[in-house]
Amino acid sequence: MKPKPPLSVNVIPAPVIPFWRDVRVLGVLAQIVFVFAVVASLSWIGNNVAQGLQTLGGAQFLCDDGTSSFRCAFNFMSSAASFDIGEKPIDYETTDSYWRALTVGLLNTIKVSIVGVVLATVLGLFAGVAVLSNNWLLSRIAAGYIDVIRNTPLLVQLFFLYFAVILQLPQLRDSLQPAPGFYLSQRGIALPWPVFTPSFLPWLAFIILGFIQFQVLWLLLSQRERQTGKATNRWLWATLAGLIVMVAGWYLTLSFNTNQAALVSRVSRVAQAPSPLAGLEALVAKRLALPQLTKEALEKLDAEQLAAGALQVCVVKESPSEPNFAAQLQRLNLPFKMNRFDRPDQAGAAYAEETCDILVGDRSLVVAERAALENPDGHLLVSIQEYPVVLSAPKLEGLNLVGGARMTPEFAAILFGLVIYTGAFIAEIVRSGIQAVPRGQSEAARALGLTEGQRLRLVVLPQALRVIIPPLTSQYLNLTKNSSLAIAVAYPDLVAVTNTILNQSGRAVQVVVLVMVSYLMVSLAISALLNWYNNRMALVER
Amino acid sequence: MATLTQSLGSRPRLLAAEITGWFQENVLGAPYKTLFNLGLAWAALAVFQSQLETAPALAGVIGGLWVVGLLGVVFSALTHRFNAVTQWLKDRLYNSPTSALVTLLILLLLSGLARAGLAWAVTEANFSADPEAVSASAHTGATWGILLANLKLFMVGQFDNDQLWRVWACVGLLVGLSVVSLPVYGPFKEQLRPIRRVVTGLWLLSPVVFWVLLRGVGESGFLSQIETRTWGGLLLTLIISVFAIVVSFPLGVLLALGRRSTILGIPAWLTYSVVGGVGAWGLVTYTRPNLALARTPLEYVLILWPLWLLVAGIAFQRVFKGNVVAAFCTVYIEGVRGVPLITVLFMANFLLPLFLPPGTIIENAVRAMWGFMFFSAAYLAENVRGGLQSIPKGQYEAAQALGLNTFQQLWFIILPQALRVVIPPIVGQFIGLFKDTTLVAVVGLFDLLGIANAAVAQPDWLGLRQEVYVFVSLVYYIGCFAMAVTSQRLERRLRVGQQ
Repeated sequence: MKPKPPLSVNVIPAPVIPFWRDVRVLGVLAQIVFVFAVVASLSWIGNNVAQGLQTLGGAQFLCDDGTSSFRCAFNFMSSAASFDIGEKPIDYETTDSYWRALTVGLLNTIKVSIVGVVLATVLGLFAGVAVLSNNWLLSRIAAGYIDVIRNTPLLVQLFFLYFAVILQLPQLRDSLQPAPGFYLSQRGIALPWPVFTPSFLPWLAFIILGFIQFQVLWLLLSQRERQTGKATNRWLWATLAGLIVMVAGWYLTLSFNTNQAALVSRVSRVAQAPSPLAGLEALVAKRLALPQLTKEALEKLDAEQLAAGALQVCVVKESPSEPNFAAQLQRLNLPFKMNRFDRPDQAGAAYAEETCDILVGDRSLVVAERAALENPDGHLLVSIQEYPVVLSAPKLEGLNLVGGARMTPEFAAILFGLVIYTGAFIAEIVRSGIQAVPRGQSEAARALGLTEGQRLRLVVLPQALRVIIPPLTSQYLNLTKNSSLAIAVAYPDLVAVTNTILNQSGRAVQVVVLVMVSYLMVSLAISALLNWYNNRMALVER
Repeated sequence: MATLTQSLGSRPRLLAAEITGWFQENVLGAPYKTLFNLGLAWAALAVFQSQLETAPALAGVIGGLWVVGLLGVVFSALTHRFNAVTQWLKDRLYNSPTSALVTLLILLLLSGLARAGLAWAVTEANFSADPEAVSASAHTGATWGILLANLKLFMVGQFDNDQLWRVWACVGLLVGLSVVSLPVYGPFKEQLRPIRRVVTGLWLLSPVVFWVLLRGVGESGFLSQIETRTWGGLLLTLIISVFAIVVSFPLGVLLALGRRSTILGIPAWLTYSVVGGVGAWGLVTYTRPNLALARTPLEYVLILWPLWLLVAGIAFQRVFKGNVVAAFCTVYIEGVRGVPLITVLFMANFLLPLFLPPGTIIENAVRAMWGFMFFSAAYLAENVRGGLQSIPKGQYEAAQALGLNTFQQLWFIILPQALRVVIPPIVGQFIGLFKDTTLVAVVGLFDLLGIANAAVAQPDWLGLRQEVYVFVSLVYYIGCFAMAVTSQRLERRLRVGQQ
């Protein structure tokens, strides 16, 4: 049995706190009061909204069967949009639903955000490193760029870029050409862009094999370096090995693919020549009355003679056959004219009427057209090589540019505005990150005999990245949110499209909810990525 | 020449060895860098050629200066004798071949830009404010008349001309207070201590005075109400910024404190019973009848709202432990921080009239001001929360041990330390807010940028966008720069970053 405690022990009774001073009671009371306040204000707002919507017409929650119910809040989004969108990454007609219009807006925002993030990072890295450069001029200019851009509003910069720079560019026929293949004009920016033909996939397999080869050789040589302690120039050998595989893959896919074919009449004797291209060369040379198609001989002819003797080619619009065949003809200095048709049967009909000398396209297409001709045996099927990737450069033909990729003035304005603005903030982050690495680290690296490049790559950057990456991801988030300013330069991003939807449908609450949910999803996704990265890279303290 | 041979003295072979050594190390030993330098040299030559065509004198001077600098540095390097100028040149401009070429390139490009800029802005610009004189002249540069003729519009928008005395009164008050504050908070702090309280009180009262002056009170009299739609230009920008900054500050601090609060939450049984009850009622009255009528997936989602309510209740209890204050503050902060400012402005524009009793009229400028205020409060709350987290726990405990109640703890111990630490990010955020007021141009208000766009649309001054945007950028740059300098002064005075 436990001994009883002596009664003479001095036991101080616990103080009795009156309930109006007890922190726990006050806390719960505060909660309850807060809940009541929130619920009361929400219900007051809800009441006002209901009254306001009633006066507005009450068609806010109209269902298909005529009744009005909360579940039909978003049913209006399935009705026809009746407005056009300037830039569409996917197909969109004015008869499509509001949902489709919203998707187009969302895709536009994602497109400008991703391209903007990549370019802004490059610019910011370069500017941030330039501020810390030894060269006084370079560092002051970079600092000036950062200072001016960070202290000027983004909207002013966007207006300046759009109205005072891009829209002041000359007309198409007088376009600025800063580099061959680049056209800057009022209609936007045209630049060369690779076109991927169907035979890109086999070559992709070889590329992946080349990467594996690179990796294997890299690991082997690293192992040998560790064992023998001697440098083995592994970069050179691994890259060579990878490149050999990729180049071999290029020539193999070139020789063994049979995707492309052309139709020529037997009379032209193109097929009898050692190669189809040589035959075409001979054909055009004969037409122009030249012994050989050399550059000097062609320059002596005037435009009319060239146009008369040029090779007439029939192709289907926007098929990869066009840039593929054009690249091969350009290599031979063959003058040619492309006749583009919307549909294969139109091209076949033009070939049958002898508008063009040769019909080029996919093998199945050419075979079908050959079968549709009156005299199939009078025409020969010739194989044309198909390059896996063709660089399509824009060319001025008449009043239009053909080929290459286009950036509309609006897209160019919002993209460059965002890149320049966010690049300045990223440059600040990069600069402070590199300066956060203690100077002793650099001194130790130099004492160990590392070159400047090795010091940056192996000592400074890994430590600097730890400081740079969290604010960097928040700048990416800022760029995505700032892309909403596209409405000021008429680029149809998410905010611009939803603004039109709101004005047309009159459903303010639903549209605002949709916009907020879309942006919140993007923000939360990026924040989650940031938190995951932070937890992985967080320094484990002692 | 004599110096060179003297300092070389009898050691020409050493000099030759030095030069060959440098050559071997920097040119032969670094092939990729040499290739890059050759590319740079080619680019510099191309730029030099094009500059020679357009401005031969300037290009020649620049090229000559560069060559002189290069020769000076090479000479000093060979003789191992540097003076202050050549030392600085070698360290900062001619450090390596790459650096020297970059110097040349930048000098050429900068001089070309400066020449073109000066020509556009000054030499070939027109400074008359008379539209007829401007259209008669054949200048190729800027037409600054658009600014000179519309100066009043840019400064105060469409403010009533007879009421302009109010703006002048505000300006006078501001200038007067600043002039008085300089000695009171500065060199004569001790001598003028008695009136320091008065001056602080006047500063705290000034927003109210400005509001009364600019908005007016009452229907008649010399301080009668004027419509906010007459506010415009720089005046509107300043009003919106100051309102948003001043009103969002206490709200932001409250939100931060609320998010970090650890008061006892609603007990779990209460939450689950309330949520369960409402959910069950909703299921019975709404979900069951409407389930058959639903067609699209989104309709199903909306019909099942009692289930989402249950999920929200569980999440609320698990994450926030029933703390409604913390939950509300967190949801508000994260929600507002996740959306762009322009959507908040659109929301304020379209939804604020809906949220208030039907028939209340809120003017556009007031809607924008409230939108900015709510937006700024969320970002401010995050900054203040960072400051609160940085205070050592011992401070909180010592304050409690001293027997101070919550308000006294916050006012005397916690907040002074927290706010001192986060002055840089807070001022950065205020600078951002000042720049973001340009967004009201998109919702139809005529702030400085909106007036600029409107001025360009006038038939007399059509299309002169470059001039107005340069002016607007300059105004914002000066404002942001002033705020940044003030922040640095404040940091130094309050010894931020030092223990």
